[in-house]
Amino acid sequence: MSYALIVAEVRRGVFEERNLDAIGLCALMEKDISLLVTDSTYAMNEKLVNTIIKIKLEEALFLNPLNMVGVVKTVMDFSGKPDVIVFTHSSSGTELASYVAGYFNLPLITDVNGFDKERGVFYKSYYSDKIFGEFKQTGQGPFVITVRSGSFKEYAVEKVSSPIDETIEGIPIAEGRSFVEYVEEEKAEIDITKAEFLLSVGRGIGNKDEIPDYEELADLLKATLSGSRPVIDKMWLPKARQVGTSGKTVKPKVYLAMGISGAFQHIAGMKDSDCIIAVNKDPEAPIFQYAHFGIIADIHKVRNKLKDILKG
Amino acid sequence: MNILVFTKRVPATQEEELRIIDEGQGIDLSKVPFKVNDWDNYAVEEAVQIAEKTGGSATAISIGDAESDEVLRRAIAMGTKDGFLIETEQILHDPNARATLIFNFLKKEGTPYDAIFTGVQSEDDQFGAVGGILAAKLGLPFVSMVISIDAFESDHVIVRRELEGGLQERVRVMLPCVISIQTGINEPRYVSIMGVRKASKVERKIFKAADYQENLVSKIEAVKWVYPPKKGGATILSGELEGVCKDLLGILKEKGVYQ
Ligand SMILES: Cc1cc2nc3c(=O)[nH]c(=O)nc-3n(C[C@H](O)[C@H](O)[C@H](O)COP(=O)(O)OP(=O)(O)OC[C@H]3O[C@@H](n4cnc5c(N)ncnc54)[C@H](O)[C@@H]3O)c2cc1C
Ligand SMILES: Nc1ncnc2c1ncn2[C@@H]1O[C@H](COP(=O)(O)O)[C@@H](O)[C@H]1O
Repeated sequence: MSYALIVAEVRRGVFEERNLDAIGLCALMEKDISLLVTDSTYAMNEKLVNTIIKIKLEEALFLNPLNMVGVVKTVMDFSGKPDVIVFTHSSSGTELASYVAGYFNLPLITDVNGFDKERGVFYKSYYSDKIFGEFKQTGQGPFVITVRSGSFKEYAVEKVSSPIDETIEGIPIAEGRSFVEYVEEEKAEIDITKAEFLLSVGRGIGNKDEIPDYEELADLLKATLSGSRPVIDKMWLPKARQVGTSGKTVKPKVYLAMGISGAFQHIAGMKDSDCIIAVNKDPEAPIFQYAHFGIIADIHKVRNKLKDILKG
Repeated sequence: MNILVFTKRVPATQEEELRIIDEGQGIDLSKVPFKVNDWDNYAVEEAVQIAEKTGGSATAISIGDAESDEVLRRAIAMGTKDGFLIETEQILHDPNARATLIFNFLKKEGTPYDAIFTGVQSEDDQFGAVGGILAAKLGLPFVSMVISIDAFESDHVIVRRELEGGLQERVRVMLPCVISIQTGINEPRYVSIMGVRKASKVERKIFKAADYQENLVSKIEAVKWVYPPKKGGATILSGELEGVCKDLLGILKEKGVYQ
């Protein structure tokens, strides 16, 4: 039978919103959808899929790539090979997808953000969204895909009044890797998600010595300073100030981004801001596609000029 | 502890205008400078630190054309014992093909290791896949998005991997294994031009990709390159810097965040 198999992510009892993008893509591909999920308590709209296959494994065991190959094998033995196996393009989704593709020797396309139904090609970002590649499967399927969050959600529509329920147990548990515990981020000096106005700086500021000048600008504007991941990785700003998928999701009235290119992991954390203003010297920077206002200029010059004006 | 660490030479495209050529069949990178993949810079640093701590060594490996020697010299300057180049002129887009090449290489050369480190992803292709595919082919445990190696024992490691929104997961992984390193795990040491020059004296072994082609087929094809669809885009404030800055302040006032 022709169907799509989606591996859903339920983390700490939450059915992650990005699962809807995987469902949306499969709906767009006009496939019957079987959703693989842990047999636990979570909330989702079950009408979006044809079949729900519940796996009797704890969440952390299910989201472990070594066990996932056993899960996929069991499902394929039971329901036949799907046309496509879809994961989210997340921390765990990419880990699971690459391991499954490697184990079963299957074609893999990751970070898919578009699909052309007529031509059967998938769009995948290259060079931080400056170029897209149109990709096609050539090897023996099923092929494995990871889906960028926010890309296909709107295509997830109700298909059935109630899906077929299946349960699978007895999945062998691998010993090579085991979950120890979750670790929460430490309590921070500041909560950037509460700020109305964020001045956010990226790798474009160049080096740590520039930070005080941007702090001063933030003070003059009564804005809160935040940053993209490289700025936090280099410890120019503390982790609590990171915007993006692995940092905070923010929704201020104004998000002023300086020297940030607009990688999707960053965009995902700020795209719902009321007003986005981007300053970047590269007119092709993807962030200009999401911004309401843009300034194509050297950020240091803009910073200095703003400071001059504000100081009178 | 002996660690094999992968390092890739990538175009630094962040500030460059990229042009699609040959009716979508190519991208003009002729004027773009190249650099080490950011993620691999962190992976090399981590490998060197762990090797130092545990009294082993790290070996850097790169797949690419002769120019990739540059990232091997850089790795040696950071402290890897040596560097291997698996030389090929061909660009292998398919991460499956790249992982197969590495798998064949490791099998044929019998290179010993306790752990293999890769970066989480390549900056250019952003597949984030070579580490996981390789691990599965080798039948080894795999863990990605690793932002801390908390303990390194003789038969296992305890690592922390990053999930979304600041949450982390502590995981125990048996050795040998494949670990994909996330940025921010350490502070990569500074590499001077002098350091890279000195590293030239350390031998880098060159292997020919042609010798490791067993089962190596691309399972996906890049049909065409296109520019991302425009999404409406921003209203660009243009003119003299002074005027632009005043316009910006005007918008802030209008939005009510600045008086
Ligand atoms: C699993 C995973 C999770 C991630 N999570 C996050 C996350 O939570 N948050 C996040 O931000 N990223 C995250 N990333 C990283 C993300 O992919 C990008 O690498 C990152 O967002 C790039 O940051 P940047 O825009 O500051 O730097 P770059 O992409 O290097 O961009 C710098 C920009 O500055 C501009 N510039 C340089 N100099 C100047 C100047 N003088 N004047 C004006 N402009 C200038 C350049 O044109 C360029 O556009 C994650 C990646 C992965 C794989
Ligand atoms: N050509 C290459 N040479 C060396 N290492 C590579 C190469 N391609 C991928 N890798 C390794 O695999 C990781 C993930 O790459 P990718 O799957 O392409 O995103 C990179 O961070 C590198 O460590």
